Amino acid sequence: MSRTLLIAPLLLFLGVTYLVPLAGVLLQSVTVPEPGLQNYQEVLGDPLVWSVIWRTLRICLFVTVLATVLAYPLTMLWVRGRRPVQIVVELCIMIPFWLSVLSRTFGWLSMLSNRGLLNTWLKDLGIIDMSLTMVRNDFGVIVGMVHFLIPFAVFPLASAMRNMDERVLMAARGIGASRFRVFWQIFVPMTWGGIMGAALLVFVFSIGFYVVPTLLGGGRSVMIAELIYLRIFQIPDWGIAAALSALIMVAVGGFLVTIIRRTGVGSQ
Amino acid sequence: MNGHFQKDQALLLAEKFKSGRINRRSFVQGLGMLAGASALGLNAATAKADTKEMIYVNWGGDAIDAMAEAFGDSFTEETGITILYDGSGPTEGAIKAQAEGGSPTWDLVDCDPFSGQALGRQGLMEPIDWSIVDEGKLREGFKWEYAASSYFYSYVIAYDKTVYDTPPTSMADFFDTEKFPGKRSMYKWGVGMWEAALLADGVAPEDLYPLDMERAHAKIAAFKDNVGAFWGGGAESQSLLLNGDVSMALIWSTRAMLLDKDTDGDIAMTWAEGIIAPGSNGVIKNNPGGAEAAMQYIASTQDPEKQVVLFEMLGNGPANPAADALIPDEEKFYNPVDPENYAQQIPLDMDWYEENYGAALDEYLGIISS
Repeated sequence: MSRTLLIAPLLLFLGVTYLVPLAGVLLQSVTVPEPGLQNYQEVLGDPLVWSVIWRTLRICLFVTVLATVLAYPLTMLWVRGRRPVQIVVELCIMIPFWLSVLSRTFGWLSMLSNRGLLNTWLKDLGIIDMSLTMVRNDFGVIVGMVHFLIPFAVFPLASAMRNMDERVLMAARGIGASRFRVFWQIFVPMTWGGIMGAALLVFVFSIGFYVVPTLLGGGRSVMIAELIYLRIFQIPDWGIAAALSALIMVAVGGFLVTIIRRTGVGSQ
Repeated sequence: MNGHFQKDQALLLAEKFKSGRINRRSFVQGLGMLAGASALGLNAATAKADTKEMIYVNWGGDAIDAMAEAFGDSFTEETGITILYDGSGPTEGAIKAQAEGGSPTWDLVDCDPFSGQALGRQGLMEPIDWSIVDEGKLREGFKWEYAASSYFYSYVIAYDKTVYDTPPTSMADFFDTEKFPGKRSMYKWGVGMWEAALLADGVAPEDLYPLDMERAHAKIAAFKDNVGAFWGGGAESQSLLLNGDVSMALIWSTRAMLLDKDTDGDIAMTWAEGIIAPGSNGVIKNNPGGAEAAMQYIASTQDPEKQVVLFEMLGNGPANPAADALIPDEEKFYNPVDPENYAQQIPLDMDWYEENYGAALDEYLGIISS
């Protein structure tokens, strides 16, 4: 009882600031400009919407896999490395985490652009003659997003690795398993929950990205958040914007529930 | 366009400060005005019987400073009404949100004429009162029922002079990568780009409207691989050219002017076949300060000398043709509506945009992003 009471302010706060507006959006999607499902019909029949959704999913899945895979060894170093290594890795994770997404994105822009640092170095070293186009396309978007999202993958992975029973690993080594085998057959499976948790967190975050694709995509990588912005402010059609938001929410929500049921993430 | 051009003024202020073009004091002043205006804007919900202040919403930054200096201060002196410039950005959606409830907190907005018209027809804007606002002080053809033109800018070709021996002189040159090899940049939100594509494809300027979208999009689809980036904001367009990412771009004339000045002409501009468009003043329906006071403000901004101040600060061409002659000779080249420049350009058809912009932009985004 007292527990419920203590948490009540939070529930109230979320109810007022989140659920009520959300209900408003859902309501708008079937009432603006007139009652009915025509907004959903229009959204589902619009080839632009489909191409944007397809690109968003493609980029986000790619980003999710990359961020999680890259975060994994990083997290191992952070959790299991020697103290000095741990400190360096921790700084590498934390410092970018505290920087604003805008400055990080502009950083990538000056790093990767045609006359950017990377191209200049590669040319000076004689590795390439022509500038590589590494930004203002999907590649740039993916680099920027992966960089931003790696810390979000690190935290669930770290918690899974920290909660692991070390004795199991030692036992495996003790009965003669190679390091390689211990890693793939014991360590990785025991962090599976953390891997899925990290992937889900990154995926959900990545769906709503706006700044990174806008700046690093060269105007070509229009993702769903930008399309919704367009329908709210630029060419106002709030019913359509609401329907788009609702569809994305339902799709992502459904996807999450399925994954969670299938893999049992969160039950550990 | 559709707010994007105007929003760009927000960034000009910070950039000017960085490049030392304005001093710290006016930079801080500008920011202070931005903060102050927004804070006061929150408290202005109650309608005032006798108008003491009105809120003019523009796109922030330098436009706040410039409009206050050009128009606001003198209006306050003449009428006792304070104009608070709020830089929060009157996108069509934001104005709609203000006006639909019936008790807006904003009075005036710096909007695209076609946005003003679209909103006006939904009953969300006051019609311009031509007994107060003087249509004689506007250029022919640049007034609408719900919007009075307030300044001009243009979509022009800017190019890297160090790359090309002969300057491009037409949109056909822009689309010709054999004659002018190198990457291009175009506007992400479509405005002016359809016109450019059609002109390049051989359509005569007088036959442009209604735009043949199929033909324009075919031209753009065939050309898009030469486009290094589609820019979404003025600062971005500038850095694309400055960093050498592209060697030719269709950008706003205000940005082209800055590039030309900053690089001593290494990145030059041409008015040839520029697509020229006005920004406009509009009044929100049931504005707290009253429609009459708002119309008086618009009328007061028609003074040519005040408009020259705005040109000097932002590079926006004056709406009142009488202002052209007041611009110093060495600056006349940068005035989009200077008779010599204007003659080379083609005005954007606001009626067409009001009717077709949404659908056209959808299709355009589909093409450039695939």
